[in-house]
Amino acid sequence: MMSQIFSRPLIGSVLAMTLGMGTGCSHWIDLAAPTDTALPASATVATDARVPLLLETIRVTHNGSSIAPPAILERQVLGAIESTRLFSQHYQSGYTQPTGNQVRVTVRLSIDNLVEPHAGQAAWRGLLVGASMFTLAPFIPLHYDYGSQMSLEMERWDGQTKHYTSTSNGSAHYYLFGANPEVIEQLKGQVTEACLSSLLNQVIQDSPFFLTGSTQPQDHPIRTVSVGVRRSSPRATPISQPITDSSRR
Amino acid sequence: MPFLARILTALALMSPLITAYSHAADGSPTITVGTQEVGLTAGYMLPHRLTRDHTTKQQGVAFMPSWMMTITDPISDGWFRGQVSIGAEMVYIQFQEPFLTHGLGFTPKIKYTFVGLDRIRPYAEFAGGPFWTDLAGKIPEESSRFNFVLTAGFGVSYFLTDRAALNIGYRFHHISNAGTRYPNLGLNASLPFGGFSFFF
Repeated sequence: MMSQIFSRPLIGSVLAMTLGMGTGCSHWIDLAAPTDTALPASATVATDARVPLLLETIRVTHNGSSIAPPAILERQVLGAIESTRLFSQHYQSGYTQPTGNQVRVTVRLSIDNLVEPHAGQAAWRGLLVGASMFTLAPFIPLHYDYGSQMSLEMERWDGQTKHYTSTSNGSAHYYLFGANPEVIEQLKGQVTEACLSSLLNQVIQDSPFFLTGSTQPQDHPIRTVSVGVRRSSPRATPISQPITDSSRR
Repeated sequence: MPFLARILTALALMSPLITAYSHAADGSPTITVGTQEVGLTAGYMLPHRLTRDHTTKQQGVAFMPSWMMTITDPISDGWFRGQVSIGAEMVYIQFQEPFLTHGLGFTPKIKYTFVGLDRIRPYAEFAGGPFWTDLAGKIPEESSRFNFVLTAGFGVSYFLTDRAALNIGYRFHHISNAGTRYPNLGLNASLPFGGFSFFF
């Protein structure tokens, strides 16, 4: 009875599509090239010339609305700054503080996140996928855009300040059966990472500004440390990065 | 009806288990893009004879296992702020009246869930798809066993935990064969239902 209604090639095609949906590249992330086109900076600085850093505030907005900065973001920011090795110690407001008269650099970070989930488009496309009995699921991608603009204010112990800005954005593309909350989290993480890297790269270029004068006597050997932005992935051209299913929980 | 009583008893017995689990993992539900939902819903179909030509009082229990995928973040602001999810549902109906017969269907489904009330989340849903039943041919309204089922309804999810919800609601059910054979008057019914959903 079934064979009278559905031909074998048709059934085979449906099975192939179903397998394809389950095994193929069902989601990927495009990360736009950062606006900062400067080459990755690095420098060698005297260890004793480094000063402590105090992360005073992180202000976060989400599509224009202020939100409490997630703890994971605070850790990510502090970790990124720490990994540059430009500062001797790292403090965060609300935790252990440097002593009052200690020379330090105070950091204030402002993050404006823009989220465009293409909700209306997703709803219509979802309706189309459902109406097609899911046969169009492997052919109709859904999109989620995320952008971040960061402004960093760094105030030196003597009151001099420097401002840095950076912008990064990316898109997650996925098919219905490849949707996963982790895809969106990875997109946000990668955009934030790229933006932070760009920002800190600018800071590294100004590294002499954040160091105290040479405190070492001329005849004493000076210990040095290499400072720079530790990048998790090469930047340059936009990345089209398929995420393997092994990343899924 | 004894069969329905057994179903309702089973659901009632499952409720304390879920409630106990809720104390272990308390938290607000966070449903994001890509969150999947599997659910099991059971209900009892009650007939509506909309014209004088409708004579069959079909009724029986219905089971509806389902799978859904959330495809949007909450849309808009205000009381209608909500999320869209799409998915599919199997529909099994055991008609107990007028004859002990069966029906089985597969329906893609779209759901809009209002998220403004935190743990209590009303929703509206629509589903439609092919439906096979051996009741057809034995009643004057329907002649072919291959039919389509269309349902539209609303319900409320109460999140017992951030990952488990209790659902109750109402659906209007329509079964007909889209004019592929005659007679094709269609079977209409109300379907109050209850069930559970798990999100992951």
